[in-house]
Amino acid sequence: MVACLGALLLLVAVAASLALGSKTIPLGEVLDPSTIETSLIVRTMRLPRTLVGIEVGIALAVAGVIMQTLTRNPIAEPRILGISAGASTGVVVAIALLGVSTLSGWIWWGLLGAGAAGALVFFVAARTREGASPVNLALAGAAIDAGLGALIFGLLSVDAATFDQYRFWVVGSLAARTPQMALQVAPFVVIGLLLAAIAARGLDALGLGEDIAKGLGHRVSRVRAASGTAAILLTGAAVAVAGPIAFVGLAVPHAARKLAATLAHRWVLPISALLGGVLVLGADVLGRVLFPPSEVPAGVITALVGAPVLLWAVLKR
Amino acid sequence: MKLRTILIMAAVLAIGMVVSTSVPAATEFVVFELRLPRAALAAITGAAFGLGGALIQAVTRNPLASPDVIGITQGAGLAATVALTTGLRDGGSAGGISIGAFAVAPAAMAGGLLAAACVFALGAKKGFSANRFVLAGVAVAFALRAGIEVVLTSAETIDAQRAQIWLIGSLNGRGYEEAIPVGTVLLGALPVLLWAAWALRTTSLDDDVARGIGVRPVARRYGLAAVGAVLAAAATAQVGAVDFVALVAPQISRRLARAERPPLVASALAGAALVVLADFAGRWILAPTQLPAGVLTAAIGAPYLVYLLLRSRGRT
Repeated sequence: MVACLGALLLLVAVAASLALGSKTIPLGEVLDPSTIETSLIVRTMRLPRTLVGIEVGIALAVAGVIMQTLTRNPIAEPRILGISAGASTGVVVAIALLGVSTLSGWIWWGLLGAGAAGALVFFVAARTREGASPVNLALAGAAIDAGLGALIFGLLSVDAATFDQYRFWVVGSLAARTPQMALQVAPFVVIGLLLAAIAARGLDALGLGEDIAKGLGHRVSRVRAASGTAAILLTGAAVAVAGPIAFVGLAVPHAARKLAATLAHRWVLPISALLGGVLVLGADVLGRVLFPPSEVPAGVITALVGAPVLLWAVLKR
Repeated sequence: MKLRTILIMAAVLAIGMVVSTSVPAATEFVVFELRLPRAALAAITGAAFGLGGALIQAVTRNPLASPDVIGITQGAGLAATVALTTGLRDGGSAGGISIGAFAVAPAAMAGGLLAAACVFALGAKKGFSANRFVLAGVAVAFALRAGIEVVLTSAETIDAQRAQIWLIGSLNGRGYEEAIPVGTVLLGALPVLLWAAWALRTTSLDDDVARGIGVRPVARRYGLAAVGAVLAAAATAQVGAVDFVALVAPQISRRLARAERPPLVASALAGAALVVLADFAGRWILAPTQLPAGVLTAAIGAPYLVYLLLRSRGRT
């Protein structure tokens, strides 16, 4: 029921994303463009950013669910686990030290940075006495996030030119994305989603606690490895292609759990994915129509829209 | 174990104070009139952050909870940003900038406390749920952060830069004048601290268990969290968002003392030592350029926490 509603909302969001903007195009025109101008707008500008928006929303929301379960901490999200900071570090290094100045070039470096930081967080947590226990995972993530933040600040404060390019990436936006970029990160999103789907039952058990999960016959370390890899791939892909879009990974899982009225990951994961897509696309469309022809980056809107969504999910009993 | 941790942290703090006031060698004036006040401010705000963080983490039972997670930092930041970018800074600017700086700190303190009050009000519904409290804090923090962005983008560039520096947190050019209010709050919190050390023993219990042994867990949680919030707001108001200290200092001392919850005195000392060392490192590394203490606390505290996490392997 909720899943159907979510799918319907996502369809509406896609339609809005294709039709609305500084130039409104009726839906009939979108499907069957009569002029070259509208055809160009839809195919080269709106379609790619819609695709990227769906990818990013799904990836961030699913990664958020996994992180909150793995750390058993309701405030876990891409930013707190250091993966987002890893992607930022990758992009800053690419700009400052290697002179990469194209968005598509940054994507690889963002993915690389996210992967390295995520692997480091899980490595540190796994090497502690309790293994990758929820508390150690959260703390390792927070420490590496803060450390990378300081590193980024250091690099940017000595290099103003890099800062000038970086600040447009770091806001989090879907503008000027191409179909190639959507394809570039698609494999990572698909593999991440598959891993998440495989790990869903194990995550249910882990949510009950490590001992119970073991008692139920799950191999805890294997569930952690699979779902952790999924979180890294999904976050890395999303952050690399659109910048660190705030709040989706944090707020959407809470809203999804409330709407689904269950903690079972076979429901929470898909509903989160749908709602994540709706939130990111909706934020992007809102950013386009608020002050045309200029745009408010999607990352700013998600924080503004996401805060009340989270409050609602928290306060509603 | 706890006593040893306290002694270690006190020693690190003392060494940090000596090093940060005397390196590199300078005249008596520089040491006593410029560096000592700044080091004292660093120690006092660090202690307030460490203690505030320890209380908030103990009450919420969440190792990630810190003033910037529950909105205090952002509330102070929004108020300070507004104060710095509007006329308030020049309000009665007969004496120049010192009057302006004077107005920013109370505004920030009020903003931080107001944000905390909002989070308390939102989190309060049928008792105290740690998760609801923390999540309400995160939501408020994000909304306020968006407010800061809006104020920053609509302000004059020079005002926005000044606000940006405040937001990162720096002790540059500050001293006793800023240390006194924080020190007063810290002193005022001392008697509460004695109560807190005793009261905290039951906060890790389930609410029902706590009621069973005859304590009022909800009122106690609110009291402890409120003390933590006031300490954090007071420190943030004077030096800006040096807030990673509040997250990392309790965890460092908890791991050193191998305690179940963050030990209070050791957390305060760890916070003080961390800010003193971070401020010194920021002054010294790229001298004469000064790096803000807010960046160096993360650069020093984060690797140390990772080291402690790794070291815990193989011990009981």
